[in-house]
Amino acid sequence: MKEELNKILESAKSEIDKTGSIHELQQLKSRFIGKKSGLMNFMKQISSLPKEERPAFGQLVNETKQQITNIILKCEAAIKESDYKKTLKSEFIDLTMPGRKHEKGSLHPITLVWREIEDIFISMGFDVAEGPDVEDEFHNFDALNTPPDHPARNLSDTFYIENDVLLRAQTSTVQVRVMEKHKPPIKIISPGRCYRNENDASHSPAFHQVEALVVDEDVTFADLRDILNIFLKKMFGEDISSRFRPHFFPFTEPSAEIDIICVNCLGKGCNICKGSGWLEMGGAGMVDPNVFDMLEIDSEKYTGYAFGLGIDRIAMLKFKIPDMRMLFANDVRFLKQF
Amino acid sequence: MRISYNWLKQYININLNSKELEEKLTFSGIEVESIDKIGEELKQVIIGKIVEKTSHPQADKLSICRVDDGNEIKQVICGAPNCAKNQKIAFAPVGSKLGEFKIKKVKLRGEESYGMICSEQELGISDNHDGIMILPDDAPTGKDLASYLNLTDTSFELEITPNRPDLLGMVGVARDLSALLKLPLNLPEMSLKSGKKKIEEALALENEAPELCSRYVARMIEGVTICESPQWLKKRLLAVGLRPINNVVDITNFVMMEFGHPLHAFDYQDLEGKKIIVRRATKKEKIPALDEETYTLEQSDLVIADASKPIAIAGIIGGVNSHITSQTTNIVLEAANFNYANIRRTSRRLKISTDSSYRFERNLSDETAEIVSKRAAQLILEIAGGTLLQGTLDSYPDPQKANIVALRPSRVKKLLTIKEDDTTLINYLEGLELRLHKQEKDKLFFEIPFFRKDLTREIDLIEEIIRLHGYNNVETFHKSQNIMNKLSFYARRKLQDILVSYGFCEVINWSFADPKDLDSLNIPESDERRNVAKIINPLGNDFAIMRSTLLPGIFKNTLLNISHGQKELKLFELNKVFFRKDEKLATEKYNLTVLLTGNLNPTFWKEKPKEIDFYDVKGIVEELLTSLDLEDVDYIASKENYFQPGSGADIIFRKNCIGNFGKLDPKIAQTFSLEQIIFIFELSIDDIFSLQEKRYPTYKSIAKFPPVLRDLSFVISKEFLLKDIKNIIFKTNPKIIKNVVLFDEFISDKIKEGYRSLTFSLVFSSETKTLTDEFINNLLKTIIANLEKSCKIEMR
Ligand SMILES: [Zn+2]
Repeated sequence: MKEELNKILESAKSEIDKTGSIHELQQLKSRFIGKKSGLMNFMKQISSLPKEERPAFGQLVNETKQQITNIILKCEAAIKESDYKKTLKSEFIDLTMPGRKHEKGSLHPITLVWREIEDIFISMGFDVAEGPDVEDEFHNFDALNTPPDHPARNLSDTFYIENDVLLRAQTSTVQVRVMEKHKPPIKIISPGRCYRNENDASHSPAFHQVEALVVDEDVTFADLRDILNIFLKKMFGEDISSRFRPHFFPFTEPSAEIDIICVNCLGKGCNICKGSGWLEMGGAGMVDPNVFDMLEIDSEKYTGYAFGLGIDRIAMLKFKIPDMRMLFANDVRFLKQF
Repeated sequence: MRISYNWLKQYININLNSKELEEKLTFSGIEVESIDKIGEELKQVIIGKIVEKTSHPQADKLSICRVDDGNEIKQVICGAPNCAKNQKIAFAPVGSKLGEFKIKKVKLRGEESYGMICSEQELGISDNHDGIMILPDDAPTGKDLASYLNLTDTSFELEITPNRPDLLGMVGVARDLSALLKLPLNLPEMSLKSGKKKIEEALALENEAPELCSRYVARMIEGVTICESPQWLKKRLLAVGLRPINNVVDITNFVMMEFGHPLHAFDYQDLEGKKIIVRRATKKEKIPALDEETYTLEQSDLVIADASKPIAIAGIIGGVNSHITSQTTNIVLEAANFNYANIRRTSRRLKISTDSSYRFERNLSDETAEIVSKRAAQLILEIAGGTLLQGTLDSYPDPQKANIVALRPSRVKKLLTIKEDDTTLINYLEGLELRLHKQEKDKLFFEIPFFRKDLTREIDLIEEIIRLHGYNNVETFHKSQNIMNKLSFYARRKLQDILVSYGFCEVINWSFADPKDLDSLNIPESDERRNVAKIINPLGNDFAIMRSTLLPGIFKNTLLNISHGQKELKLFELNKVFFRKDEKLATEKYNLTVLLTGNLNPTFWKEKPKEIDFYDVKGIVEELLTSLDLEDVDYIASKENYFQPGSGADIIFRKNCIGNFGKLDPKIAQTFSLEQIIFIFELSIDDIFSLQEKRYPTYKSIAKFPPVLRDLSFVISKEFLLKDIKNIIFKTNPKIIKNVVLFDEFISDKIKEGYRSLTFSLVFSSETKTLTDEFINNLLKTIIANLEKSCKIEMR
C-alpha cells in the first residue's frame, strides 16, 4: 500500500517538474489530487479495511496528498516568477514616444468670458434673462425714455426690418421686457447680441453686451458701485477698481460712464489705455423714474440701478486680443488658443 | 433629560396636549427626542381580591388563590409568602403584558393558574420584590391599577444643549415655558423649622480645595426613619426614569430632577471624626463606590472625606461606606458646586457617568446649592421625619455676583428686523427672570439671574428674545425670482462642453446672411427657412437678411481655414436663427450646427489616420441626444436636399423632426467652393425643449443576478433594418432580454447579393432568479424561430 502511494507521488513529481505553464499545472493538480484522481480513488478503499487500520491509512493518504500539494505550490511560484521576468523583457517602452491624444477643442473666447460673467452674477443671486434680437421701437427706444427725435433712431445708426421693427441696439430691451412681466424684486443680467450700423476696426455691426438690472426697495447708488466693483475684481483681479464719470443716458438718472483701471498697466499708462491709465467699460446709472412710471412700477416705493458692459471688450482685455475683427474671423489657429 | 407632564404641571398651569407641548419646546430650542405614555401597561392590571387561599398539594411554597377580579373568580397560583385571604392585590389576567413578559394560562405542578398576582417590581413601580403588592382594603375590585394609582402620565425625553444646565430640572423647563406661554411660574413654598441643637455641635466642615469646590452647604437631620417613599414620590421618579430606593435617597433625586442640581446624603454614623473634609485625593487613594466598584484616585480628583477616609468622589458618586441604609437615623445633607472641568476629567478618566456628574459637568450655579439644600431638608422632614439641626455649614469663599448686561434695542432691530418696542423686549427677558436694572437711551441694563451663567453678552440676550419671539415669526422680505430658463441655459452649455471634449472648436458668426445661400443649399421655396427677416438698411447685399440657418456661415469658416492649410476641421456654432413671416417681430430659435471634415483623429504613430464617415457623425449625435435625456429617437431618410442622396438622416423625436445629419452633397459643397468631404449635423435646441421636460434620474435597483451573454449570428436580406430586427428579438421576452448589441456586419461575395451577415451579442438577466442554460437555450430557439418567420434568416 505504501508502495502504491510512493508510485503516485513519484509520477506526480516527474510530471509536475516537466510542466512550464499555469494552465497545465491546474490540469495536473486535478489529475493527481482532484476529486476523481487516483489518490482519491485509493482513499475509497478505506471502507473495506478493518476499523482499527483506518486512521493510519487515512493519515498516510493525506500525507501523500500534502506532499503533492507542496510540489504543485512550489512549481506554481517558479512558473509565475519566470512569466513575470518574461513580461519585463518583452514590454519595452520608449518613454519619450507620444501618447494617444484626444484632440483638444475650444470654446470661443467670447463664450468663455460670457460664461464667466454669467457665473459671477449667478453666484450673487442674479437670474439670466433673454430677449429677442429683433425688437420693436417701443422696447428699444420709447420704454427706455429715448426722445422721438433722438439720433440713435436714425437709419444710419440702427438696422431696421420694418418701420418700427429693428435689431436691438442694446440689451436694455430685455430689462423692459422683464419689468413688464415680473414685479420687483428683480435682479437680472441680460447678456446678448446687439447691432449697430457701423463697421470699422474698432466697431463691429454685431457685438455682445451684458446689462444688469436690480429693482427693489432700498436699492442705492452705493449698491450699484459695490456690485460693479465686486464684479470687476472677480473678473480682472483684486487690483481693479472703477470710477464713474457723469454722463447722459435717457433711461438712467443720474447716469455715468464707467472707467476701470487699465488691466494692462494697472493705471501706469500704456498703449492700450492710451497713456491715461483708465479704460472705458460701459454705462451705468439709477433707473429713471420715468421708466418705472411707463412700466407701472411704483417709482416712490422702488428704486433700481442698471449698467451695461461690452462682452467682446472684456474678452479682448482678458485675453489681450489686439483686433476686434479676429473675434469673428473664426480662424482655428486663433480659436484653439483658448 | 426626561420630564413628566404631570410633574411639570405643579410649576406651571399648562393646558397643552403632548403634541402641542412638543412643538412649543422644539421651537423654543429644547428638542424633544421622544414622547412616552406612562401607565399604559398598568391599565391591563386589575385590582383583585383574594377570596380564598389554600396550599398547593404538591408544593409547599405555592398557594392556590381564588381571585375575584370584579367579574368572576379565577384560580391563580401564587408563590409569595405575604399573600393572604381578603387582601386586595394587583392582578394581571391572562393576555396582559408586562414589559416583555406575556401572561399566559399555565399549569404549575398540576394546578392551573389564570393570571398572576404581581409584585411592585413586576409592575415596574419599585424595586420591591419581597412579596406581592398589597393594596388598601378600600381599593375598588375590578378597577384598573393605572387609574387607581393615578399613574398615567406622559414623559418627554429632551435634548438639552450644553449651554443650558438650568434646563436640567423641571423648574428650568417650566420657567422657559412660562416665559414662552406668558403663564406664571409656581415655585414650591419653602420653610424650615429646626430644633435647638446647632449643627456646629455635631459636625465640622473643612474646604481644603476651594478652587475645585466653589460652594459646600451641609445640613443635618437627626432621627429620620428610612423606609419606602410615599406613592406620589415614587410615581414622580418613575415617570422620569429613576428607580425609587428609599425615602431619603428618593428625595435627593427628586430635588435634583426638580431644580437640576444634584445632592447627596451621608449616614452621620459613618463619619469618623464627625467631620466633612473637601479635599484632593491622595495618590492611589481608593474608594468603594455605590456602584460596587472600587476606584483608584489621583491627586487631581476631588473627594468628600471624613477624618480618615473618602466618602464620595465629589459630584460623581457616593461611597458605599457612608450611604443611607434602613438603619440610618442621622443624616448629613450635602449640596455643593464643583469645578465643571475637573468633574468632567475625573468622570472621563474613571469612566463613571451619573445623573450627578452629567449635571456638574455643565457648570451649575453656586446659588442653587442653598436652594436645593433647603428644599431637600424640607421634604425629608415632611416624609422621613426627624429634627433639623439649627443652621448650615456653608463654605462659599467667593460668592457668585449678579452679572449686568446691556442691551441696545436698536441692535435688536438691526439684527432681527423685528419691530417690537422696548416694553415688549423687557417683557420677554423678565419672563426669563432677568431684572431690568437701569434704563438709558437705547440701553437697557439687565441683571442676569444666577442660574443663567450662559448669558454674558448683548448677543446672548438677543438670542433669548428671538427664541421667545419665535424664529419663524420673523418676517422675511426676499422673494425668489423665476426669470431664468435654466433648462435651456444649462443644456446649451452642456452641448458646447461635450463638443469641446470631442475636439470641436466653437465659431461665432454675425447674424447677417446672404439670401443667395438659401438657393445654394437647395432650400425649397415653401420651407420655413425662406421666411426671413430682411434688413431695410443692410451693410451690403450679402448681409441683407437675418440668418435662418447656420450652415452658410460655418461653410465660409471652413473654406477660410482650409485655405490656411487646416484640412482637419471640427467646428460648431450654437446660436440664434430667425424666421419672420406674419409675426411682427421674428421667431428666434437656438440652433446647433456641427461640421466635420478630414481625418477623425490626429496622427498617431501606432495607427493609420481614418477618414470621417457617417457612423462617426451618428455616434456624436447619439451621445449628444443621450446627454439631453432624449430616448426613443428615430432616424429616417432626410428630407433635406443638401445631403448626398441616401447619406442623410432626419432625427425624429415624438413625431417631430428635431434635427438632421449626414454627408453634404459634394455638388452643394462645390457651390461653397468646398472640395473636401463634409459631414454636418444640426439640432434645433428650442424644438427639443418644447418637447422635453427636465427629468432627474431616479434610482433603479441594481440586478442581483449576473447577466448571461450569448452570441447570435445569421444572414439576412438588406431590406430588413437593424431597428426592426432588434424589435423582433426584444419582443420575444422583453423582461429577460436586457440588451441586443450589434457587434459585426459582414458583406462579401460569399454571401448572396442583397444579403448581409449580422452578429449580435444578447444580454439576458432576471430580477428574480439565476437563469439556467436550459431556459436560455429555449429562449434562443424562440428568438430564432421568430426571426425565421418574419425575416427568413439563415443561421450561420
Ligand atoms: Zn494701460
